[in-house]
Amino acid sequence: MPFAGIDIGSTMTKVVIVDRNGIVVASVIGPTGAEHRHLALEVMDETIKKAGLTFEQLDFIVSTGYGRMNVPFNDKQITEITCHSRSIRALFPTVRIIIDIGGQDSKGIKLNSEGKVMNFIMNDKCAAGTGRFLEVIAETLGIKLTEMGELSLKAKEYVKISNTCTVFAEHEVTTRLTDGATIPEIVAGLHEAFAGRVVNMVRNLGIEKDVVVTGGGAKNIGLIKAIEDKVGFPVLVPPEPLLTGALGAALLGRDFVARGITPERERRLEGVTFFK
Amino acid sequence: MSDSQEYYAGVDIGSAFIKAVLVSHKQIVASEILASGGNYKKTARRVLDEVLSKARVSLEKLSGIVVTGIGAESAPFPARQFSDISCQAMGCHCLFPSARTVIDIGGQFTKVAKLTPKGRIANFLMSEKCATGSGRFLQVIARILRIDMEDIGLLSLKSQTPVEFSTNCAVFAESETVSRIAEGARMEDILAGVHHAMAAKVAMLVKRLKMEPDVVLTGGGSEDIGLVLAVSETLGVKVLVPEQPRLTAAMGAACWAEEGKH
Repeated sequence: MPFAGIDIGSTMTKVVIVDRNGIVVASVIGPTGAEHRHLALEVMDETIKKAGLTFEQLDFIVSTGYGRMNVPFNDKQITEITCHSRSIRALFPTVRIIIDIGGQDSKGIKLNSEGKVMNFIMNDKCAAGTGRFLEVIAETLGIKLTEMGELSLKAKEYVKISNTCTVFAEHEVTTRLTDGATIPEIVAGLHEAFAGRVVNMVRNLGIEKDVVVTGGGAKNIGLIKAIEDKVGFPVLVPPEPLLTGALGAALLGRDFVARGITPERERRLEGVTFFK
Repeated sequence: MSDSQEYYAGVDIGSAFIKAVLVSHKQIVASEILASGGNYKKTARRVLDEVLSKARVSLEKLSGIVVTGIGAESAPFPARQFSDISCQAMGCHCLFPSARTVIDIGGQFTKVAKLTPKGRIANFLMSEKCATGSGRFLQVIARILRIDMEDIGLLSLKSQTPVEFSTNCAVFAESETVSRIAEGARMEDILAGVHHAMAAKVAMLVKRLKMEPDVVLTGGGSEDIGLVLAVSETLGVKVLVPEQPRLTAAMGAACWAEEGKH
């Protein structure tokens, strides 16, 4: 009895398939393009193959993420807030605060001792405090987003970045470079500014132990350290932080079937319309 | 020119351009704009010389000079210094005595000032936190659309259905622009959408100061007719625009020079 979760984020599309025991049997991460439906189909297809299954064998498919309505072959759409909290409850039962740092938004989710969502807060209005902030400035600095974490650890101190706005910070960074600051010092400064913004947002929920960081931002060790500095204690990071949304979606599908809820309509993987 | 007439000069030493205005009885007699270049002192001197020779007035006959702008310290002639904000306000006041609110949309910042009936600053706000309210937003989008800043205004007027951006963030709007182009959105609709987003941001600043008519829009942003109309529509008032918005600070400086004498 396999269950699939598909998470269409602003930057990445993720699919996780779990078995009847909720154990992950396959997962795939692909980039989200302009054509959500096309990508959803491709990534799903690849995951099914990886799991050695056929589409018809899937007992339940839950879609989540900001592109969740663009999955024509799902059985249910569920918000990423619910999906994240479902998988975190399975992975880290002690967690009370989830900080999810995505490519174009960041969220804070507060859980009670049973892992239920009590409150959440979100920023998708301003690029500062989202993955886009680092992405834009990595380009300005001519470095890869994926190497920023390690790079920043080389810095003994950080350069204070005073601009909140990504557009202005981009300019500030080039000025700091001409002033003689090193790239590691600047990147460490970016992480400090980023962490400050995200943690300040989450403070509105009341920060409680344990804290887990998910999303692409959690793959950046420098950012994780900066967040730990701000909250004042170590935070948890899932083994594959990009997959918590999709994993939660798959687990929720499994929960539905366990409660006797089955797919309402027949679905076909081919039933996909492409743009133009 | 009669010998009894008194002349006053205002020189605005900006990082990109140096501007000079010569006034008499707070009316513009002559003006000049030159690119600042690497030597503020030299260019400032040249701009002043040009404006004087245009008006056939000798330096000795000048009754007063006020300098303003980021390079005011480098003025190569004896002059009093005034802040660019108070010069901007005074310039708008001299051009439009009925002005009570001045909006200056620049490349980096948007400033809003409330004026007293005498052209003094009553209150002042500046947006420096977010690129959306500044000319920078338009620059970012113009770069993607590969269009010159000067062409934006007229082109945007052709828009029938402005794009509604889902965010007010210049960075997100940049990627949204790319997807909208892929979906076949027209360039004029994207530009009109940017104008509306900017106008909304500017209006927030203006409302915090409690807008009072008449409203003057100056700075580089006022050279964009699409933006001017969007601001006017969003604020629900008519907006006055100087003929040469780049000169308002220099004009104000000259008017301060003249006021100082009385």
